[in-house]
This record gives sequence, C-alpha cells and structure tokens, in this order.
Amino acid sequence: MSNVILAAPPQTAALDHGDLLAHDAVPASLISMRDIWKTYQMGAEEVHALRGVEFDVHKGEYLAIIGPSGSGKSTLMNLIGCLDTPTRGRYWINGKLVSEMNDDELARIRNQEVGFVFQTFNLLARASALHNVELPLIYAGVGSAERHEKARQSLTAVDLADRMMHRPNELSGGQRQRVAIARALVNHPSILLADEPTGALDSATSHEIMNLFERLHAEGNTIIVVTHEPDIAARAHRIISIRDGHIERDERTK
Amino acid sequence: MRLSAFWEAFRIAAASLRANKLRTGLTLIGVVVGVAAVIAVVTIIKGLDQTVASTFSSQGSTVFTVSKLPQIILSREDFIKANKRRDVTEGDAEAVARLCTACWRTGVAARSASVVKYGDQKSEDVPVRGVTPSMFDIEDIDIDAGRPWTASEDQAAHDVCVVGVDLLENIFGGQAPERAVGREVRIGGRPFEIVGVAERLGTIFGFSRDNFVLIPYPTYRKMYGTKASLFIHIQVETAAELEEAQDQVRAIMRTRRGKTIRDEEEGFALETQDVFLNLYGKATSNIYLVTIGVAAISLVVGGIVVMNIMLVSVTERTKEIGIRKAIGARQKYVLTQFLIEAVMLTAIGGLLGVISGFLLAYIISFLAGFPLLLSLWSAVLGVSVSSIVGIISGLWPAWKAARLDPIEALRAE
Ligand SMILES: Nc1ncnc2c1ncn2[C@@H]1O[C@H](COP(=O)(O)OP(=O)(O)O)[C@@H](O)[C@H]1O
Ligand SMILES: [Mg+2]
Repeated sequence: MSNVILAAPPQTAALDHGDLLAHDAVPASLISMRDIWKTYQMGAEEVHALRGVEFDVHKGEYLAIIGPSGSGKSTLMNLIGCLDTPTRGRYWINGKLVSEMNDDELARIRNQEVGFVFQTFNLLARASALHNVELPLIYAGVGSAERHEKARQSLTAVDLADRMMHRPNELSGGQRQRVAIARALVNHPSILLADEPTGALDSATSHEIMNLFERLHAEGNTIIVVTHEPDIAARAHRIISIRDGHIERDERTK
Repeated sequence: MRLSAFWEAFRIAAASLRANKLRTGLTLIGVVVGVAAVIAVVTIIKGLDQTVASTFSSQGSTVFTVSKLPQIILSREDFIKANKRRDVTEGDAEAVARLCTACWRTGVAARSASVVKYGDQKSEDVPVRGVTPSMFDIEDIDIDAGRPWTASEDQAAHDVCVVGVDLLENIFGGQAPERAVGREVRIGGRPFEIVGVAERLGTIFGFSRDNFVLIPYPTYRKMYGTKASLFIHIQVETAAELEEAQDQVRAIMRTRRGKTIRDEEEGFALETQDVFLNLYGKATSNIYLVTIGVAAISLVVGGIVVMNIMLVSVTERTKEIGIRKAIGARQKYVLTQFLIEAVMLTAIGGLLGVISGFLLAYIISFLAGFPLLLSLWSAVLGVSVSSIVGIISGLWPAWKAARLDPIEALRAE
C-alpha cells in the first residue's frame, strides 16, 4: 500500500478549486495549509472551529500558536498532526497531500512524519517509559534490538536514562511529559507538535520543558507549540494568533 | 502485519486478560462447558467402543443363534407377535445339527434364574443356564479352576456346575477359585457340586458378566422341565460360511414351522451379535447428536458472552486505542489486537474445557469400569472450535475498535 499521495499538478488543482487556489502547486514548504475549514455539526447548528486557515511552515522553524480559549488552536493542531481531517481545504506535509488520505495512510504519516506531545501526556499507564517510547517504532516495524536502542537514545536525550523502567504513575508530571517528548521524537519526525505541553505542569517544570524544546530546535527540529501563555510564546521565532477560527496575525519575532 | 506489531498485540492481549482474571474466568464458562461436554462424551464413548469391540469379538462373527424371541425387542407389537411363536425345542436343535452341512458346532442352552445358597449365604436370582458340552467351545468359556463337567456326568445328568467368579464373592466371601471347587451349593434348593470356576469376563456398561451358573443340559431338564423355549447356538468354522449356514438353518427351521416362501413371519429369531452392535451404534449416535446439540448451544451462548465482554473491553480501553492510533497504529493492527484477545480468551476456555472433559471422562470411566482412551484429535478439535468461536465473536468488537476516530478516542477517559 502506498502511503505517498502526491498532490495533483497545479492545473488540476486550479480546475478543482477555482481561482482562489489557482496558484497552488505542490508546495516546497514542510507544512502547507490552504483554505482549511473545520465544521462541527452540533444538532441543527454548525460550529465553524476553523474558517479558511492558510499558512506555511518551513523546515527548522519554531512556531507558537496563540489565541483565546475556544479559538480553534487544538482543532488546528489536530489537523496538522493528522489526527483529524479538515471539512474543506488542502493540506500538505513534505509535499504529500494528507487532506485526501484515508485512515491507514494518516496513521502512517502520524507514525513517520509527526511527533505529537499532548497537554495530558497520553502515555500508556500500564507500560514502562521505555515501552511507551518504543511504541511508534513497533508500529513502524522496527526490530526489537534496534527499537530498544533507539528508545534508549531518545529517553537519554530528554535526561530520563535512569527512569526507563518506571511506569507513568511512578514519574512526576515533568518526567511524564519528557517521556512523551521522547516518544514523539523517537521516529525522527519531520515536525514536533505540542498542544499546551506545559498546561498541566507547574511553572518551574514548564520552564524546564520549554528549555528542552529550545534545545531540540537548536538541534534542527521543526517545532509548533500551542499555548496561551505569552512568555512561552515569546520563546518561539514566529507567532500565529488565532481568533474565532482564523489567523489574525502571523509575525516573525526573531 | 509486521511481526513486532503482532507480538505487541499478543502481549497486550495477555496483559489485559491477566488484569481481569475474574471477568476472564466468568466469561469462559459457556465455552468451557461446551467443549467439556464434547470431550467427555467422545472420550467415554471411545472407551465404551473398545469394551464393546473386545466383548463381542471374543464370541466372534462365526456364531449365530436361533430362538423364539429376538434378543432385543423394541416394541410391544413385536413382543406380542414373537410371543405367539412356537417354542424352539430339542427337536429343532437335533434337526439343525443333523441337516445343516455348513454348521460346525451346534449347542443348546436353556435359561432360568434361581437362588444359590451356601450354608447361610445366598445369592438371589442367579442366571442358571443348562448347556450342552459344545457350548463351552462355542462361547469360548475358559475354566480358571477345576474342570468342565465330563461327558459321562452330562449323560447321567449329574448335579454338577460351573460358576462365574461373582458367586465366589457373593456366597464364599471372596475366596480363591481353587477353594470353591468341590464345594456343595444349593441351586433352587437342590444340592450341586462345583466342579469348575469360569475365568473372569469383567463388566460391560457397568454390568457384571460373571454372575452365572452353568449346569449340564440334561440336569437342567430334570430340574426345570422342558416347558421353556430353547436357544440353539450355531458356530461355523470360518466367517465365510456364516451366510450359507444361516440360509440352511433358516430353511430347516421354516420347514419345521411349515412356513412357505410367501410367509413373511418366519416363526423364530435368527440372530448374530450384530443385533447388539447395531443397537449400540444407534444408541451412541443418538448420544453424539444430543451432545453436539448441547455443545453448540453452550458455544453460541459462550460466544455471545465473549462478544459482550470484548465490547466492554473496547469501551474501557478507548483511550488506549486513541493513544495507539495517534502514534501510528493502523486499523489492521488494532483489529488484530482485539481479535487476538478474543481468541486467546476462548482458546483458554477450550483448553480448560478439554482438561475438564477428560477429567469427567476419567471419573466416569473409573466408576463404570471401562478403559479411558484420551484422543488427541478431540483435544485439538475442542481448542480449534473454541478459537473459531473467539474469532467470530471478537470480530465485531475488534472492528469497532479499529474504526475508532483517534481524536474521539483520545477524548475518552
Ligand atoms: N468535537 C467537537 N464537537 C463540536 N465542537 C467542537 C469539537 N471540538 C472543538 N469544538 C469547538 O470548536 C471550537 C474550537 O475548539 P478548540 O480547537 O478546542 O479551541 P482551543 O484549543 O483554541 O481552546 C470551540 O468552539 C469548540 O467548542
Ligand atoms: Mg485547546
């Protein structure tokens, strides 16, 4: 089964989507969103969580997405992370048109291209830190020896070499989030996504995690962080502000 | 599916079953009962088959009998019809012995039952048979201690007898056969000398075959008269002659009964041991059918229970499924994980069923006294059938799990 869906050539895209998208070619950027809509049906009412979002992210960027609660940050993040599909619009990762992919193709993208860090960690409670970090490799079909080695390296990179056999409930919040970050990085994804990664942590620990993100960025990772805390956003090199489902501002800060 | 992901699925399934031991156990009852029933019945009937085969083959397929009533009567009408027949007499036996050229040995037996006493010990309703000397050969009766009666004892109608070993237990307090030889017992009030003790035959279907007394036919006639119908036992030299001998005997008997070719009722019963084997076969196939019915019902019920529990398991672990899908588990993987769990569940049930079925069969065969024949194929079949039940009942829950939306699943708690 091919997981690589190449975007249609520009001419076809233009025919399909009219003048608005006439300029669309296979984008050169790492992430490319065009006229992305997400609409939820709440009974008879339609809730537009995203209304025509468009932006590009290039390799090596450190981007923060800010906005008030309910503005659509998580919805956007889930779309970027291929956990969800847009109601309308086109979305490419690394030139692959993921907005047209089916469930299994998206699973492949989530496994290979994206590392997702959640506010509530989302670790398997019954598994050790090591096993949690190994999981993406298991689904990638990596053999056990290589898997152990890579998971170990990844945990060492987040300073958890001495906690590998601990279960999540034997770890502090900051340590859990570092396990989650190790898991997100273990398959060397194109992009690291974090939706309010410090939302469940105290400020000292938050600081620690944000230092880790900075280091990971310095090592060449592309990072998108959702936050509503200005000082966390301030660490990023570019800030996108969202309000009511559309981009209000997109500014480069460094 | 890649092996690493398969093993992960296996590990998770095992861990999940271990984490919910009580629930796992309760879930399995239906499957265990279904499989245990089949295994027990198959094993018991195999043991019976062995007993039946060895019992009937000792007499061999070279023997048949002529009697007034058939050995097995299945309806009242048949009994009334057969009861109207003329008795089988000494004259019939003589005619058969004289005229049947394909017959090798001919013997006569008459049956009754009497109380047998030794001192103040007694045994009621002991089957007493008056037999001609040839019956020892035809029925292959071996003497364990003492001897059969002699030709002169037979002709002179001496009061001598050969007894089965049960009698030793019942009236001699279980003494060795040698000690019984030469003793005097009273059969129906008449004193008899025990000249021989027959070798033990054992039991069939839990009934002893060693509770009997044999006395010379002339003695029997002196004692009980000639009123009752006789049994003529005929043996051919090889099984190949059986049919010819039966035809001859049938012709002789029909002639003596004045039956023409057109008469459907023969006026006597001519039977081999096949009558018993046929009846046995019919009985066991009915038992098989009932068992398969019981097993099918409990497996269906068991399957529904497993499906239910798997649905609960999927609901409970929605969050876990969300996490797995979020980091790249494909539908096929999630499906496999839950299918493996369902199959593991029912395969364990099948295994427990096989073990308890064998145990049940062991207890029953021990109590009833027939051999225990454990067959591998029934064990394999039991586990495979229950695994198939697992696949069928796990399919829908597993499919539901596989189709879960990652975002929706992650929201669950
Ligand atoms: N599954 C859903 N069903 C219906 N409405 C939803 C769902 N998810 C999000 N929304 C709505 O979409 C809007 C954006 O939500 P979200 O992206 O979670 O905001 P944020 O993360 O910025 O707080 C909100 O109004 C929210 O109520
Ligand atoms: Mg949010």
